[in-house]
Amino acid sequence: MNARTIISDLLLGLIPIVLLVAVWQALVSFGYAPVTLLPPPGHVFQRMVALLLNTTYQRDIAATLFRLFAGFAIAVILGVSVGLAAAVNPTINAAVRPIVRVLAPLPKVALYPALLLLVGFGHESKILLVTFDALFPILLSTYYGASTVEQKLIWSAMAAGTPPREVLFKVVLPAAAPSILTGCRIGLVISCIVVFLAEMITSTDGLGHVLVTAARTFQAVDMFVPLITISLLGLILNGLLELLRSYLLRGFPEV
Amino acid sequence: MQPAAVHKPATAMIQIDHVSQMFQTSARQDHLALSDISLSVANGAFVSILGPSGCGKSTLLYIVGGFVQPTKGIARMKGEAIRGPGPDRGPVFQEFALFPWKTVLGNVMYGPRQQGVKHAEAEAQSRALLEMVGLKGFENFYPKELSGGMKQRVALARTLAYHPEVLLMDEPFGALDAHTRTRLQNDLLNIWERDRKTVLFVTHSVEEAVFLSDKVVMMTPSPGRIRQIVDIDLPRPRRRAELLLDPRYQKYVVEIERMFDDSGELQP
Amino acid sequence: MMRRVAPCLACIGLLLVWQLASLALNNDSFPTALEAIRAIPAVLGDKDSLVNFGASLRRMTIGFSVALAVSIPLGLLMGRSRAVASFFNPLLMVIYPVPKAALMPIIMLWLGVGDLSKTLVIFLGVSLPVIYHSFEGAKAVEEKMLWSGAAMGLSAIQRLVRIVLPAALPEILTGCRTGLVLALITMITSEMIARQSGAGNILFNALDMGQYDTVFAMIIIVGAMGIGLDALFERLRARLVRWAEPQFDIPLSFS
Repeated sequence: MNARTIISDLLLGLIPIVLLVAVWQALVSFGYAPVTLLPPPGHVFQRMVALLLNTTYQRDIAATLFRLFAGFAIAVILGVSVGLAAAVNPTINAAVRPIVRVLAPLPKVALYPALLLLVGFGHESKILLVTFDALFPILLSTYYGASTVEQKLIWSAMAAGTPPREVLFKVVLPAAAPSILTGCRIGLVISCIVVFLAEMITSTDGLGHVLVTAARTFQAVDMFVPLITISLLGLILNGLLELLRSYLLRGFPEV
Repeated sequence: MQPAAVHKPATAMIQIDHVSQMFQTSARQDHLALSDISLSVANGAFVSILGPSGCGKSTLLYIVGGFVQPTKGIARMKGEAIRGPGPDRGPVFQEFALFPWKTVLGNVMYGPRQQGVKHAEAEAQSRALLEMVGLKGFENFYPKELSGGMKQRVALARTLAYHPEVLLMDEPFGALDAHTRTRLQNDLLNIWERDRKTVLFVTHSVEEAVFLSDKVVMMTPSPGRIRQIVDIDLPRPRRRAELLLDPRYQKYVVEIERMFDDSGELQP
Repeated sequence: MMRRVAPCLACIGLLLVWQLASLALNNDSFPTALEAIRAIPAVLGDKDSLVNFGASLRRMTIGFSVALAVSIPLGLLMGRSRAVASFFNPLLMVIYPVPKAALMPIIMLWLGVGDLSKTLVIFLGVSLPVIYHSFEGAKAVEEKMLWSGAAMGLSAIQRLVRIVLPAALPEILTGCRTGLVLALITMITSEMIARQSGAGNILFNALDMGQYDTVFAMIIIVGAMGIGLDALFERLRARLVRWAEPQFDIPLSFS
């Protein structure tokens, strides 16, 4: 992935956004939607710029980002460690497998009230929810990547003198990197979504809270702004992760 | 041709004593891959293990490599029982098994670095090895950017880098096209002539076995047993062009193929 | 046998951990597992709750079914026709990172607080993974199979239905499984955001009223719903695609 492909991909990705805005403007201009329900793109972007310069909104963004990163980071550390451990150790595998099977299909958001009761209404409950939701894709991708490492890679490393306890970090982890990073990408998207939703359900700050507040006062414009903000944040973060991914996986054949 | 006697000198590099290997298949059945294999490999000998698919020849190699523990019997190197993999027995696999996250140079340097060799020295040694296998200039490439033949050269260089006394080659040229295969066979012999390591070479090609080796161990399929061991009495160094026209070479190939035919077993 | 028993053991294990933790923490707002379990019959027996549950399930079923009816054909078409794919891809790429349940307030603004807005959100949430997987599944169908079909005189539509659909079925069902989980999550979340009826509503009502036993009882019930639906779907999927290679559901579970 060189600079040229990245730029052309970026431009290609902008086209749908431009299209959407165009459709949006058309809907408003042709009177298909009343201004109170669907404000013109111009209004929304104006408001957005104004809010981005506003310190309160900046604090909201900061709160959302903080919870997002914290939750995601914990999910990555936990998910990768447990996934690797389960892949190489049969006992851990036997213990982890059924637990994951039970917990994975559970709608984690249903745990949110429990979290609120246990750790309060502040940052922690949202961070924990993000962690629970982002954990499983990362764990499963890590497990999958680590357990499908080509046996001959491990044998080659051992014949070259790698002691068994080092094989995990010198062979299994790098070989599983593509899978792990795919899981992280899914986990990141989930983190963005969940933090926003948690803030919508109960919060005193954050982007989700801004949206709900605007909804209660029927301010359509103010509802669009946080939504677009989180989408943009998600896109940017995803892009950054992609860059990291291309760099780390530069030796791997394209899948 | 007389079957070579199974002798047990104390100086044998590799000694395989009554090794059997049983596998459990997914259908919960027992599959006897190898049955009572006994074999002695002298120091500096180039020995091929020849047989059709499913005769356990790779399994035998993996047992010597220490990657698989035999269900019965013992494999020894220089008198010591083989318990696990180690840098004294270096493998070269058909699938190349190069580390995709490392460059060509990084791959070759892996063994020496693992042995504690300092970075600068490991790099110098590795560059020299890469030049020897004909890959000078490709040090910073990633394996994915190389052809099959080139990948196998890297694999060979990577194994040679940690100076194993024994080379274990598992159908190393099987995934390559015929032209690349013959070139690599020649190159392998050239490299081998330099220090005459002990080589165990698994193949299903009669011509390849005869061309490369001092001894050909013929195996039967399921369960794998040693059918016969054939001494290849051809002069070294061996040149493909000369050998192909040499009636002794042709005789070996014809007779070995006939032995497989006569037994009613699959042609390798 | 161990495979069947293990998840049950895991459930029991988790409940045990819960029981011990709540006893240790001795917090009024953290009832023990037993107390929560004891509250379940009361929740299920209450007529109001049943109405709420019924509404939830109804919305989820409608949203899910309509989503499948629309998304599978769309995905298949996109997979086989470059034109269709190029048309819809940009639009979908933009919608993807947006948290669908977060659209609730906006949709509520347009469509009111009733069933329609919640069902629409569920529809949106389910559609995306199903379209994506149908698209991927259809794309992967071997050309040669279709050529054989054409040689046998099948028209384009017939080929789509009789060759592409069955061949892509394993991948489609993977998408449906993701969609099912998302349907449940989106349903609960939308009900937590727009509290008016449904299981999410029960949860937060209980939270507001301090009926902590009920809160946790609801969590168990919703959790059981999630696990149960997923298990049922797995059975169905295994039967429908017995002939297929085993698939690995990356974000969801060990298959």
